[in-house]
Amino acid sequence: MRAFFGRNAFPLTIFTIAIVFLGLFFLWPVLKVFGASILDASGRHFTLANYTSVLSNRFFLNGLTNSLGIAAAAAICTVLVGVPFAFCLARLPISGKAALLALAALPLVLPSFVSAYALVLMFGRSGIVTGALRSLGIPFDSIYGAAGIVVVYTLTLYPYIVLPVTAAFKSIDVSVEEAAQNLGASRARMLRTVTLPLVLPSILAGALLVFIEALENFGVPFVLAEDRPILSVEAYKLFVGETTDNPASAGVLGMLLIVCTVIALLVQRGLLARRNFATGARRAAPLINVSPALRRLGATYCWLVVAAALIPFMAVVVISFMPFSGPVLHTGVSIGNFTQLFERSYRPLTNTLMLATLAACGATLIGVPIGYVITRHRSRLSALIDVVATSPFAVAGTVLGIGLVMAFSSGFLILTGTWLIMVVAYMVRKLPFSVRSAGAILHQIDPSLEEASINLGVPPALTFARITVPLMLGGIVGGFVLTFVTAASELSSTIVLYSGPWTTMTVAMFQALEGTSAGVAAAAATVLIICTILPVALVYRLLRRHELSML
Amino acid sequence: MTAITIEGAARTFGTVRAVDSVSIAVRDGEFFTLLGPSGCGKTTLLRMVAGFCELDTGRILFGDERIDTLPPHRRNTGMVFQNYAVFPNLTVGGNVAYGLRARSVRKNEADERVARALKLVQLDGYGERWPHQLSGGQLQRVAIARAIVIEPHVLLLDEPLSNLDAKLRVEMRGEIRRLQKLLGITVLYVTHDQEEALAISDRIAVMRTGRVEQIASPRDIYERPATPFVASFVGTTNLLDGVIRVREGESAEVAVAGTTLRLNGVRGGAGDKVVLSLRPEALRLLSPGEAAPARCVTLTGTLGEVEYLGPVTRFSVSLADGAVLQLMALMPPGASGTVTVAFDPQRVVVLGAPG
Repeated sequence: MRAFFGRNAFPLTIFTIAIVFLGLFFLWPVLKVFGASILDASGRHFTLANYTSVLSNRFFLNGLTNSLGIAAAAAICTVLVGVPFAFCLARLPISGKAALLALAALPLVLPSFVSAYALVLMFGRSGIVTGALRSLGIPFDSIYGAAGIVVVYTLTLYPYIVLPVTAAFKSIDVSVEEAAQNLGASRARMLRTVTLPLVLPSILAGALLVFIEALENFGVPFVLAEDRPILSVEAYKLFVGETTDNPASAGVLGMLLIVCTVIALLVQRGLLARRNFATGARRAAPLINVSPALRRLGATYCWLVVAAALIPFMAVVVISFMPFSGPVLHTGVSIGNFTQLFERSYRPLTNTLMLATLAACGATLIGVPIGYVITRHRSRLSALIDVVATSPFAVAGTVLGIGLVMAFSSGFLILTGTWLIMVVAYMVRKLPFSVRSAGAILHQIDPSLEEASINLGVPPALTFARITVPLMLGGIVGGFVLTFVTAASELSSTIVLYSGPWTTMTVAMFQALEGTSAGVAAAAATVLIICTILPVALVYRLLRRHELSML
Repeated sequence: MTAITIEGAARTFGTVRAVDSVSIAVRDGEFFTLLGPSGCGKTTLLRMVAGFCELDTGRILFGDERIDTLPPHRRNTGMVFQNYAVFPNLTVGGNVAYGLRARSVRKNEADERVARALKLVQLDGYGERWPHQLSGGQLQRVAIARAIVIEPHVLLLDEPLSNLDAKLRVEMRGEIRRLQKLLGITVLYVTHDQEEALAISDRIAVMRTGRVEQIASPRDIYERPATPFVASFVGTTNLLDGVIRVREGESAEVAVAGTTLRLNGVRGGAGDKVVLSLRPEALRLLSPGEAAPARCVTLTGTLGEVEYLGPVTRFSVSLADGAVLQLMALMPPGASGTVTVAFDPQRVVVLGAPG
């Protein structure tokens, strides 16, 4: 026994920390939500009444079908947009690929509800484009509704397809394609029967990520859905609603969201079963020679997609510097929106920076060792930790927020209303990022480097500090920045957990949206964009090397 | 400068017995090679000595001191990895000084020892370079310098030459041997390349599925293999099935390939089956009409495939009973059809019962 613990002291310590942290702040809150959904009002007796009442309610049923339909449509649309994009990027001789890839990845770190709000500013009822079209006599129905939501998801989530599929297209060994042509397949036939099937697993993996993100997203439907019910929004409304405070029904909606995610995951696993296509390219397939016309077409397509995805963000920045009176926009240049935003205090900005920094530090400190142990000490226990540590991704932010409030508003540990509960929520939500990115870098570091150091007389813990951490540093910094950026633009859990003094930029923008101060919302959006773009631009080289390959 | 004693070492991974009660005694200052096909347990055994693989049972000693209970960083072994494992974040000098820093060697002395080690591996003046500026062979030298500079009890080398091209491999193995003799250090060397093992070692342990088949000098491994596996893994050989006819004291008459041989060192009684090993280069093809040399036995067969290899020719001869002999010899001009093969029975090795 002593030998066992001596041999495994380091992994066991990490596992213990992981289990305590995730058990306390992830599994228990989720269990609380589950408990609320299956217990009656007294909280003691088992009942299915909550489920029957929600599922017999036409409004919530509509919410379920809306959520699923929109998520599925988003997955399909991103595949339709992203796969040709990835193909052009990986296989056609077009110029400016590095810039295209960087710009295509950018929406991943930008807050998607800002894009949604930009579309409202442009195509909403009193939007600029809507107004222009109307003045030209062209009738235009506004952007609100399912179609608008799917458009926003497509424009903000297509990188989830582009990044892995581009990598997959590049990793096809040239010999496989040459064999197809040698056996008499035309180029088109080869693409259809060999190349596409080989990248299918990456397409499905990306589509699953899009589906999950679309299902759990809170901000986009909040901006664009108007009265149409969407599960993640309704769960929030039921939980914090001033008129009908209904944790049981909120719990049911939360569980429905989780079940939908799990089913999607199982479907994807089923589709991928028996399709292990690791070809391990020795020599990547070459660029395909096409006519100049086709090449220009491919380049135009890519730049159009990138522009369509980024123009909304640029529009918001431009609009934020224009004067508003209430919801009405005037021409001119003004910083009035910003002075109005920070009129009362700078707290939202400082809160955002502080909470995101703490969350990024926490997630890195916990996530990197977990990623290390999962990658280097393979066992059943580490496989289990891997599943638990990456599953927060599949739980909607609103649901986790609700669970945290249920779990920590009474009892031995009271966190509700503090800044700590927000940091904890961000840490749990972003943990998969740091665990996975740490694992991805470690896969590129040969374990014999660590063994060489130990062999030369440096104990394991010191070896980790002297050899492993320096080699991982680029990836760790990259993961830290991604965690910071995504925590800074987090809305879904924040909206459930924040309290007055701990208002963040996202909440400030949310409140401005709820009111009618469109200018303040645009200013808040601009500040958020700067908060995310700036750190990413600073470490882009690192991110490119370590993180983009991870997806 | 330490003897290594491995006593009954065993390790099971799942249902696979990777190392199966292995006992080896490596002498002080000896160049000892673990040879075997991939998956035979040779690397696992080496990693047991280094401390990267725990023993289920058994023990390992350096001299009189038991070391298998020590953590790997306190065993004072110098290991050279298959892929060099040169730290990419340190210079060549930093790599070589790494183990000295861990041992708190004073800076002046460390610098001196690093310079000496680099000179030994013919890399003097490379201390400031970065690993990514070096070739594969140079990285290999850095890895060796880093391992010997700490003056380890034993030097452990895990297939160190397998990533080098053929010519460099021959050059480097000579250099490793030269260094070992110069330093008088005990070396445990792992390889799957039988030619490399024969060329470099004092003694070789041939391993198969976690067990030791034979421990002997290179010459004995090749000329007196203990088992059919050793005979066929080290070099190529002809394995022939025979039956003991008559037993007379030390020698016996063995019926094989349609003839009868009188052989020494045969175990077993009349009627027992034995396997005989006959190296291709021990066989000669007689020109038509040529008489067999004295003491030689002749067999008649049909000439089969012929491969011209330059210095010699490889060809096969099918015997009447269906056995096929591989020969490595000069081919007399005009040989074809039915041919006669001659060999000295003294060069036949008896391997005991088949299986």
